[in-house]
Amino acid sequence: MPAYYLEVIVVVLGLTLLLVEAFVPLGDRRSLAWLAALGIGVVLCLSFLVSTPEQAEETGRFSALYATDGLALFYKRIALLTTLLVLLMSADYRKILHQYTDPERPQSQAGLGEFFTLPVFACAGLMWMASATDLISIFVSLEAVTMTFYVLVAFMRRNVGSLEAGVKYLILGALSTGFLVYGITWLYGITGQTELSAISEVLKEGAVSKTAALFAFALILVALGFKVGAVPFQFWIPDVYQGAPTPITAFLSVGSKAAGFVVLLRVSEPFIASELISSNVITILTVVAGATLVYGNLAAIPQNNFKRLLAFSSISHAGFLLMALASTPAGGAISQFSISPVSAISFYLAAYLFMTLLAFLVMTLVRTQRGGESIDSFRGLAKTSPFLALTLLIAMMSLAGVPLTAGFIGKFYVFLLAVNQHHYWLVALGVVGAAAGFYYYLKVVRAMYWEAPEDTSAPAIEVSMPTKIALILLIVAVFIFGLDPAPLML
Amino acid sequence: MLTLGHYLIASGLLFSVGFIGVLLRRNVIIIFMCLELMLSAANLSLVAFSRYNQTAGLPDYNGDVLVFFIITVAAAEVAVGLAIIVALFRSRQITDVTAMNSMKN
Repeated sequence: MPAYYLEVIVVVLGLTLLLVEAFVPLGDRRSLAWLAALGIGVVLCLSFLVSTPEQAEETGRFSALYATDGLALFYKRIALLTTLLVLLMSADYRKILHQYTDPERPQSQAGLGEFFTLPVFACAGLMWMASATDLISIFVSLEAVTMTFYVLVAFMRRNVGSLEAGVKYLILGALSTGFLVYGITWLYGITGQTELSAISEVLKEGAVSKTAALFAFALILVALGFKVGAVPFQFWIPDVYQGAPTPITAFLSVGSKAAGFVVLLRVSEPFIASELISSNVITILTVVAGATLVYGNLAAIPQNNFKRLLAFSSISHAGFLLMALASTPAGGAISQFSISPVSAISFYLAAYLFMTLLAFLVMTLVRTQRGGESIDSFRGLAKTSPFLALTLLIAMMSLAGVPLTAGFIGKFYVFLLAVNQHHYWLVALGVVGAAAGFYYYLKVVRAMYWEAPEDTSAPAIEVSMPTKIALILLIVAVFIFGLDPAPLML
Repeated sequence: MLTLGHYLIASGLLFSVGFIGVLLRRNVIIIFMCLELMLSAANLSLVAFSRYNQTAGLPDYNGDVLVFFIITVAAAEVAVGLAIIVALFRSRQITDVTAMNSMKN
């Protein structure tokens, strides 16, 4: 089965869901979310049956637009798994959504169908991004995803926070699109090519203007920096993450970031491989990585809103990932004693998926049943719901990088790469950042285990069966890949 | 005689006008128009580059194709964007971006 069947199936699934919503009388529209999650799960299983590039017949021009290598498949699976969990979260989030879309009619389920269907379309875009190896397909897939997110972020149209977040994401997302297309234009202008492999050859020959090539790289880096949340292009993240519906925040922070990184990996590869500009590109990436590490970690310290805290945490993780990217050896040669930055980044993102979505799943439950997102809402959670408290404890441990968790292995590889490339300043900043991380992640743990609940008579939080299974599987994943990372290495 | 340089300078000016507009203006509709200017700047230089990178007397059509995609995406962006801006205006009666600060700690 060729790999692009997966995207086709996902798009068809999305269209089918819309038709089901329109024509089948559903008592509870949450079943639409479970149906969508089921469909995405099937596609996830199908992704293991996809033929490798060697088996697939080369389809001429199309193969230049669409990569079916291991990297693409890995990020397709990340997109699918994220979407699956986001859909489960959306089903739990129904109550809050209703409160801010149609509060006058208590029985109304208006808008739910779209809320469960749009993530499926975003997923198709994310999967296409993982395979895009041509500037045109990169642009189109990136925009398909961003445009879906504009709608999803502003979905709670009676909630000022959500609308403001939507407008901010819209303006800054469109600004980054402007930079992206201008960068693509220049890259196309100086090389005369839109395929990344052809661009790589032209840049290797070195017969292009160095200034123009760097200008194009800088413009594209600005745009992708927006997507992954790199300083100084991170200023949208805290407000948008806080205002958006919680499942969408999770989707943004995992799906959008992972897809942004795979595009960044593919686009920066020709520049790093070219002797002409390699050293300048590495310097730019190092500076951006250092700034992101410092800002993300230090600005997270004073936060009291858990969602906002996770937004800053997402910036700081982008810092660690950029640190790995900046540690790519010039010319692209990798010594046999090290791992490649591509596998380090991919492993880190997979680990980031497990632990971040664990945190967001618990937060969605707390938000819908305790009504708040500040750290105070988590006080005494260990007494009322010990399982959820333990889950969040594991997520926080892994995010902070405690040994035996997947988060630790991810950070370990990043530091290993940076030391191998003698980026000692970056290593120092990373150590300071990781230490700060222990403080702000454990703030939540302290609230859960050592503080009395705000309302002692509050009932235990109910966890639906699909969510409980997802939580247990994610916890298992955090520990298994923390002990043996090999299955997730590219 | 117009050369590639002329087109690139015009496109660079258009891009700068758009970008500076986004940074300085406060009305969200005008910011949105400035964003469209930035996309048009890219379109202009793409067409110029596609003419300049001729092969066998024909323009390089990859650039022209990208222009059509950019126009389509820009139109979709306006459709979604204006809907969101209108929704915000209906709930708060503001178009000034400096007033959108309800989420500061």
